[in-house]
Amino acid sequence: MIQLFHVCKQYAGDAPALVDVSVSIGKGEFVFLTGRSGAGKSTLMRLVFCAEPATSGQLLVFGRNVAKEKRSRIPHLRRAIGVVFQDFKLLPDRTVAENVAFPLEVRGLASKEVRRRAGGILRSVGLELKADKFPLSLSGGEQQRVAVARALVGDPALLLADEPTGNLDPERTLEVMDLLHAANARGTTVLVATHDRSLLERYKKRVVALERGSVIADGAEIRRAGMV
Amino acid sequence: MARGPGVTLVATGTIFVAVFVIGLFAAALHGAGKLLATWAGEVQISVYLDPSADLEAARAAAAAAAPGRAVEAVTAQEALRRFREALGSQGALLDGMRPGVLPPSVEVRAPGIRLDEARSLAKRLEAVPGAREVDYGTAWVERLERLLTRLRWAGSALFLALAVGAAVLVGNTLRLGVFARRDEIEIMKLVGATDAFVEMPFLIEGLLQGLMGGVLATGALFAVAVLALPRLAAELGLAAPLARGDLLPSALLAALVAGGGALGTIASALAVGRELKRS
Repeated sequence: MIQLFHVCKQYAGDAPALVDVSVSIGKGEFVFLTGRSGAGKSTLMRLVFCAEPATSGQLLVFGRNVAKEKRSRIPHLRRAIGVVFQDFKLLPDRTVAENVAFPLEVRGLASKEVRRRAGGILRSVGLELKADKFPLSLSGGEQQRVAVARALVGDPALLLADEPTGNLDPERTLEVMDLLHAANARGTTVLVATHDRSLLERYKKRVVALERGSVIADGAEIRRAGMV
Repeated sequence: MARGPGVTLVATGTIFVAVFVIGLFAAALHGAGKLLATWAGEVQISVYLDPSADLEAARAAAAAAAPGRAVEAVTAQEALRRFREALGSQGALLDGMRPGVLPPSVEVRAPGIRLDEARSLAKRLEAVPGAREVDYGTAWVERLERLLTRLRWAGSALFLALAVGAAVLVGNTLRLGVFARRDEIEIMKLVGATDAFVEMPFLIEGLLQGLMGGVLATGALFAVAVLALPRLAAELGLAAPLARGDLLPSALLAALVAGGGALGTIASALAVGRELKRS
């Protein structure tokens, strides 16, 4: 699903954000990407999402070398990827239902189909009664559930979540993590960037640890070795 | 547009000013062209003949060269009489001059003739038997025409400069609107929107703002024309005042509105294009 071969990322005037990163994530996996702030988690996410190119190395997403993809093909690639951010990134002047429906509108689906799918996903995240509310009238947990619903409404093959619980209390954190797990159980590959150790402890999943842009450990053995 | 009424107002206003200035210049050039044609249309072409020329034969040849025009043969005596009459009280100055001092001529009156037609008719009249010189009395009109041709070139360059300047200015104004909606653009791209999908609402908005600015500018030009035309006619001492269409023909008005729309669309494309490159 995702393959990185000796990937480096360097921003002008800064220390390298990623150094010789080689990681492979298979279809249907649930992987935590962990490390301190500035370790390179978000950068890796941005590369996978084709928001920016790697400085060197090869990155394959869905078996396609993203560096060789035409710019016009990138949006189509992104439609197979759902993204969730710590700060939700919802449109404040659109209702919950409109926010969730947005990816489907972008794809040009018929409005009846858009309503049906948005309603279905809102029910699955328990927000069907909030469909007509605006995001800023919701709690942080609810807003993140809307963001997860938006990421999942297009039935993506890959879900990227960058610190999805960073702004949430423990109870809301579990709600959001349950949604990600449910998506994974339905076959979606999930990559979650987090520095919350309690999540790694609670969910016995593969962990890729980064430090100063390099992979320092990869696999369940990290937990056993007490590295997280 | 409802999300940024301030930006819409400024962008529309900028396009209004740009289209108005361009329209004013175009109207002035068009009006000058019309005046030129009017002045040229008052020409009388004189074919001066050798004193020994057969006046009647020359008149017949001139009539054949200028079908449908009033052609008159003027003898040397008649020419002197008219000159004396034109001098009025100072006509006595011509006392003692012999009748042959002025050449006989054939005069062709060509009301409403265009300058290029006058030129071509004068050329044909050179073939009149005994013709020594053909004067269509429009040397100054020709100089004015040359000046106008140069002004038209200058106008085209000015139009281009104004259009580019206005596009950059409106583009920068619209960038404010794009900047205010950068989060929306980011999220659009996040969920897989193509560049065309992101651009489309901005382009439509730019087109509407441009058309609005263009319509307002043509309205203002129309008002200026209605107010200024009678005064202009009085100042220039025109027998027949210029009509609105002489300054602002419908094609020019339509071109100005369309130009406003194009300006708004191009400016929007520039503004959103920069943001798309950035995000």
